[in-house]
Amino acid sequence: MNLDPIKELIELISNSDIDEFELETEGFKVAMRKASAVAQPVPVLQPVEQAARAPEAAPPPADGLAPPRDDRFVQITAPMVGTFYRAPAPGADPYVKVGDVVEVGQTLCIIEAMKLMNEIESEVRGRVVEILVENAEPVEYGQPLFVLEKL
Amino acid sequence: MFEKVLIANRGEIACRIIRACRELGIRTVAIYSEADREALHVRLADEAYCVGPGPSAKSYLNIPNIMSTAVLAGVDAIHPGYGYLAEQAHFADICASHGIKFIGPAAHTIERMGDKAVARETVRQVGVPTLPGSSGPVSVDAEALAIAEDIGFPVLIKAAAGGGGKGMRIAQSRDELGKALQIARSEAETAFGSPAVYIEKLLEQPRHVEIQVLADEYGHIIHLGERECSIQRRHQKVVEEAPSPAITPELRQRMGEAAVRAARAVNYANAGTVEFLVDREGNFYFLEMNTRIQVEHPVTEAVTGIDLVKQQILIALGEPLPWRQEDITWRGHAIEFRINAEDPDRNFLPSPGRITLLSPPGGPGVRFDSGAYSGYAIPPYYDPMFAKLIIHGRDRQEALVRARAALMDLLVEGVRTNVPFHLRLLEDEAFQRGELSTDFIARRNLVSAS
Repeated sequence: MNLDPIKELIELISNSDIDEFELETEGFKVAMRKASAVAQPVPVLQPVEQAARAPEAAPPPADGLAPPRDDRFVQITAPMVGTFYRAPAPGADPYVKVGDVVEVGQTLCIIEAMKLMNEIESEVRGRVVEILVENAEPVEYGQPLFVLEKL
Repeated sequence: MFEKVLIANRGEIACRIIRACRELGIRTVAIYSEADREALHVRLADEAYCVGPGPSAKSYLNIPNIMSTAVLAGVDAIHPGYGYLAEQAHFADICASHGIKFIGPAAHTIERMGDKAVARETVRQVGVPTLPGSSGPVSVDAEALAIAEDIGFPVLIKAAAGGGGKGMRIAQSRDELGKALQIARSEAETAFGSPAVYIEKLLEQPRHVEIQVLADEYGHIIHLGERECSIQRRHQKVVEEAPSPAITPELRQRMGEAAVRAARAVNYANAGTVEFLVDREGNFYFLEMNTRIQVEHPVTEAVTGIDLVKQQILIALGEPLPWRQEDITWRGHAIEFRINAEDPDRNFLPSPGRITLLSPPGGPGVRFDSGAYSGYAIPPYYDPMFAKLIIHGRDRQEALVRARAALMDLLVEGVRTNVPFHLRLLEDEAFQRGELSTDFIARRNLVSAS
């Protein structure tokens, strides 16, 4: 969540004569109280609704980072230990590139384990958003390989 | 020297092997399941790789993922620990076919001793005493009945592909035999993949006494004396000690020689244990051979001064054994207490959960081998044993007193443990006198609420 507005608020209240301050809005609530012996107020953050609605309730980030990971995005992870290959053979075209739309069951890559080539298939219909592993890199069980945006 | 060794195991034994490798200057590669991300062996190893989800079948028994990891990490050898793949002959074969040294005996040795009926017959032929029973698996009930009547009831029906106390049924009389055979076969098939069963005479209140053997790859085999492991719950050992209170030097020599003969009969190499049952007259009978390092190896280490896991690695490297039989001496008395995350007040129900505080005991003669630490969450998928407390004293009396002090110094909070059970055991007069047998816990009624 973006803390900039809250930091500004804390500074504002600190510099004023207000001793206690409370603000509640959709998605969060903030309460502050100045301790009389202490110069700085003590902020207490209490998010209201839990994670189910959080992605929609969060304010959009100001700095243009990748969109928050939510249900729209699926990670394809390695189901085995081996070497990740993007193409069926050296020099051949990769199975997928970023931006490609893939169907359920479509081969995304190969994981080679002890000379056996295993085709890794997509579980969803989606667009390839990110490829997280380099060609010929060893991968562990459960290691994320691709991020797909579900379509 | 090996440059890198992969430890195909978890928990305290993985930590033990990592320690031995460190002492030898060998880089360690750990494997772990998703449930073991925070495990101690993962933190201690130089490299660590995830090989599967929580359940053992998909991770610690996942040979393709483990071998793939071994090849990608470029290891020279694999130490299988105990349990899991330690006695899977085909795993030893797969290691060999990849040019990776399996730290243990050869695959065919594992196979021969893995079939309990074949093992029995093999050692019998080299003059190792075996319990009266069938010479191989019994296929026909009539054959089973004839054997049982010959050796006398009660008899024990055991799975040929079993071991470690699992897959056994008692038949008290000829009436019970037919049904017991049926159930035993069915259980054997389910648990071990083979319905083959063999029959043995059931001894009354025997002691479980096993002999540690050490063999190099040049045929030089010695024994390191015995361990008494009679304190068992449901055929699982809970407390082990060396030497056995019941074994005289003469009996030790005869049992040791028999164990070495058994090992030689299968061209044994590396560390192994030959298990015997000893009756009240001091007769001993071969039970089975475990072709791996055992949980209770530290009690032998304590009384002989020999680091068994380091020796396993050195033997696998092709080093000859540096001792002859006459070089082996024993000093003092050692007792090991397995520390399990179990609730002794609820029939030892496993008690996984987060250990909020773990403070091990220390001092002279106190060794604590553990796979846990303060803040560690014990996963529910695996054996409840997370540590071993090994006590060494000048004699058994000092070991008992020191054990009580150490168990009281051991602080474990957040999970239930069997420590209260161990304290109760130490107070038992028969235990103090060393009057042990495999039915000790039930006989002395130690499994009651505290």
